[in-house]
Amino acid sequence: MQVLKAQGLSKIYGAKGGIAYHALDQIDLSVDKGEFVGIMGPSGSGKTTLLNLLATIDKPTSGTLEIGGTDPVRLSERDIALFRRRELGFVFQDFNLLDTLPIKENIILPLVLEGAKPAVIEHKLRPIAELLGISSILNKRTYEVSGGQKQRAAIARAIIHEPSLLLADELTGNLDSKSAKDVMNALRDLNERLSATVLLVTHDPFSASYCKRVLFIKDGKLFSEIRRGVNRQAFFQQILDSLSVLGGNFDDVPFARA
Amino acid sequence: MTFRSLALSNVRGNWRAYSAFILSSVFSVLIFYLYAAFLFHPDVVNGEIRGAAQVKQGMLACEFLIMIFSFFFVLYSNSAFMKTRKKEFGLFTLFGMTRGQIRKMVLYEGAFIAAVSIVAGIGLGMLFSKLFFLALGVLLDSGETIPFAVPPVALWLTAAGFFALFMTITSLTLIRVGRSQIVELLREARKPKPEPRLSVAAALAGFLTLAGGYALALSMNSQSFLILSLPVIGLTVVGTYFLYSQGSVAVLRLLMRRKRFYYNRTHMLTVSQLVYKMKDNARLLFVISVMSAVVLSASGTVYVFQKLQKVQIVDHAPYAVGFVERGADAHEVVDPATVKQIVQADGLRITRERQLAGLLGQDVADDNAAGGKAGNKDDGMQAMIVSERDYNREAGLFGRKQADVADGEAVLVLPYKEMESFSPLKVGDIRFTLSGETVKMKLKSYYGGAVVSPVSYATYMLVVDDARYEALRASAAPSSKLVSYGYEWADWEHSEPTVAKIDAAISPKFESQAQTYRVPSFVSGQQSLGLTLFIGLFISLLFFIAMGSLIYFKLFTELQDDQAQFKALSRIGMTAAEIRRIVVTQVGLVFLLPCLVGSVHALFAIQALGNLLNTSILKYAAVVFAIYLVMQALYFAITCTTYLRSIRGGGRTAAE
Repeated sequence: MQVLKAQGLSKIYGAKGGIAYHALDQIDLSVDKGEFVGIMGPSGSGKTTLLNLLATIDKPTSGTLEIGGTDPVRLSERDIALFRRRELGFVFQDFNLLDTLPIKENIILPLVLEGAKPAVIEHKLRPIAELLGISSILNKRTYEVSGGQKQRAAIARAIIHEPSLLLADELTGNLDSKSAKDVMNALRDLNERLSATVLLVTHDPFSASYCKRVLFIKDGKLFSEIRRGVNRQAFFQQILDSLSVLGGNFDDVPFARA
Repeated sequence: MTFRSLALSNVRGNWRAYSAFILSSVFSVLIFYLYAAFLFHPDVVNGEIRGAAQVKQGMLACEFLIMIFSFFFVLYSNSAFMKTRKKEFGLFTLFGMTRGQIRKMVLYEGAFIAAVSIVAGIGLGMLFSKLFFLALGVLLDSGETIPFAVPPVALWLTAAGFFALFMTITSLTLIRVGRSQIVELLREARKPKPEPRLSVAAALAGFLTLAGGYALALSMNSQSFLILSLPVIGLTVVGTYFLYSQGSVAVLRLLMRRKRFYYNRTHMLTVSQLVYKMKDNARLLFVISVMSAVVLSASGTVYVFQKLQKVQIVDHAPYAVGFVERGADAHEVVDPATVKQIVQADGLRITRERQLAGLLGQDVADDNAAGGKAGNKDDGMQAMIVSERDYNREAGLFGRKQADVADGEAVLVLPYKEMESFSPLKVGDIRFTLSGETVKMKLKSYYGGAVVSPVSYATYMLVVDDARYEALRASAAPSSKLVSYGYEWADWEHSEPTVAKIDAAISPKFESQAQTYRVPSFVSGQQSLGLTLFIGLFISLLFFIAMGSLIYFKLFTELQDDQAQFKALSRIGMTAAEIRRIVVTQVGLVFLLPCLVGSVHALFAIQALGNLLNTSILKYAAVVFAIYLVMQALYFAITCTTYLRSIRGGGRTAAE
């Protein structure tokens, strides 16, 4: 079953009078349920623009988008917000956890906003916290836990309301290699055990090597696509090879993680 | 880019945060100038304005008040500004700006803000001074208008005074600037806030002290007032502090523990953020509450006095003009016909004209078994003896209590209600002399509220039953017979000249048997209270604006954090309506809570005052409170709108 279907997605900036800039040009993308897809590309390739379109916080200039059977472009502003809340889960590079809430309440926030009953909330929280290995820190404050724990809490928040699609944006960008590994393992477990659909945008070949499929974009266009075999190490090497073919500037992220 | 233009663009860049601060400063300067312009007005200085002297003292006191208040206000605002700009200074230092240069920049900024506030304040002051003089002229009833003038002394005093004030404070803040390490400066804004600690004991202590203060305030009477007033203020102030620093957190924690409430949509965010907002702003909210309470109590009291004066004066002097004659048909004081004629000649309509006959009881005293000890002390008290029927008829006119006496019983009517707690006679046996003969009776009860003008022989009244009265009257000498006359006319509030004419017609020898003070004392009382209210109004307004701008400012310094937070929240799918609901609740509480707490404090203060005065004055005070609440709500609405727009604006730029 297709969770995400994008056809001919384009985004053009600054067309008024000035020179039009094609941030995204005719992107076709489709993600099935339970997939773990990575999107890679050099700086300025249009990764962030694509993510913003998928995240419904920006609207495409042309093309169609369908997430879980709904076209968010046609919704009103309020409905888009509600759509994001119900159908999408987000994980950001800088965690975006609220300092004023303990970890537990940060995680259950989407459910609380939806008006779920306290009993239901508790019921849903426990297995996810267990799976992500954060049961012991639920009552701690955000400043009392490590970056990796924060990011796993953010993942829990993104998944607790069982969205159709989990969007992750450079989620290991602020983490050291050990924490990055923990977080990626956690994400993989989620994908494999709960068959959550994950779309990951990253610079980092190590993170990308956890995906089952990686798409490369360059200058706003789809460049190539590779699929993972059994071995993650081999896939990592494959990604590095593709990147060298892709060219472009990857200097801003250290490579020495794997 | 010169240094000056950098400083200028700094102010412009921080305009939103600065605007409320500058507005308050401008307003301080404006009011200071208005008062100074009056105080140093050539006509006032030369003594050409009648009645100017009576307001000069008050205004001078207000000038000092404004200066002192402005000092603390600017000091607080400035140090808070510097705190929010630490990161900016860190960046400047990082780019190689020396400490001296940063200080220079801050100095320029300070000078710039001072100049703007002073110029705008004085400019507006000049614009409004004519209006101010006009209003003052009417209130002073000085006959002629006070001409427009710009006294140079006022101008220089205001400009120099405020410039010195601003620069002193800027220099004070300069000392603190640039002492920290760059890294610390840069990190300042990103420090996570620790969770507020809560001490249940302290919270409980806060509630108890507050309750104690209120209880004491309500229990105050005129005897205990002097002893209790200080503890009451102390307890209330301490209680208020605990209420904010601990009580608010305690209440919010309780809410958090109730999962059904707490896990209900936006409640979780609202409450959890409020815990921090309350705790962080506890001191500010406390100061504002106490300030509100002071302003409200003071203006409420003045207003109450103004309203009460009329009620009280009419109660104390039931007739605009009244007098008591000794002898059944004597007209020693003044001929009633003359009074009527004077009143009617001035085109006034007489609404009530009464005569009440009575007898003069002398040496009225307690007649107790101990040998008349109290009787000796009260030797010489006189009272007008009236029949039950006559009294009840007159009492009915004023809606006063009816007397009900059996044979041998008497009721003592005191001139004022306030005297009920210290009646000269006790219930029990009494005696008095009528035409040289001693009469013994039993005092059934006593209460206040004269039904005739309570002067001279008619100050006190003894009501006896009709049969006894007839008997006494039959045996009384003609000189023991009294008649009280009373005149009431419409629009007596503006009949001072008429009363003066009647005063002139009264024979000077018997002046003490007439009561004519009602109209003149009402007029002069209204005037001085009106002036107090008028002058106080500006100070209250100043306080009010300053308080609002403190909160406004505080909110905008937190704006950056909030912006980031709401941006994150809107990304995970929070709707604009939900964000608005959270913001309105939070801002509303921070804004209206001190106002509400202040009102409650003032309410108890006013109620205590009412207890002292033995009257209910809450309805008058409620008018003042309502005006204040409406003004605060307006300020809140403006702040909330600006705040929401900033949050949304910040969110949008960040998303793009």
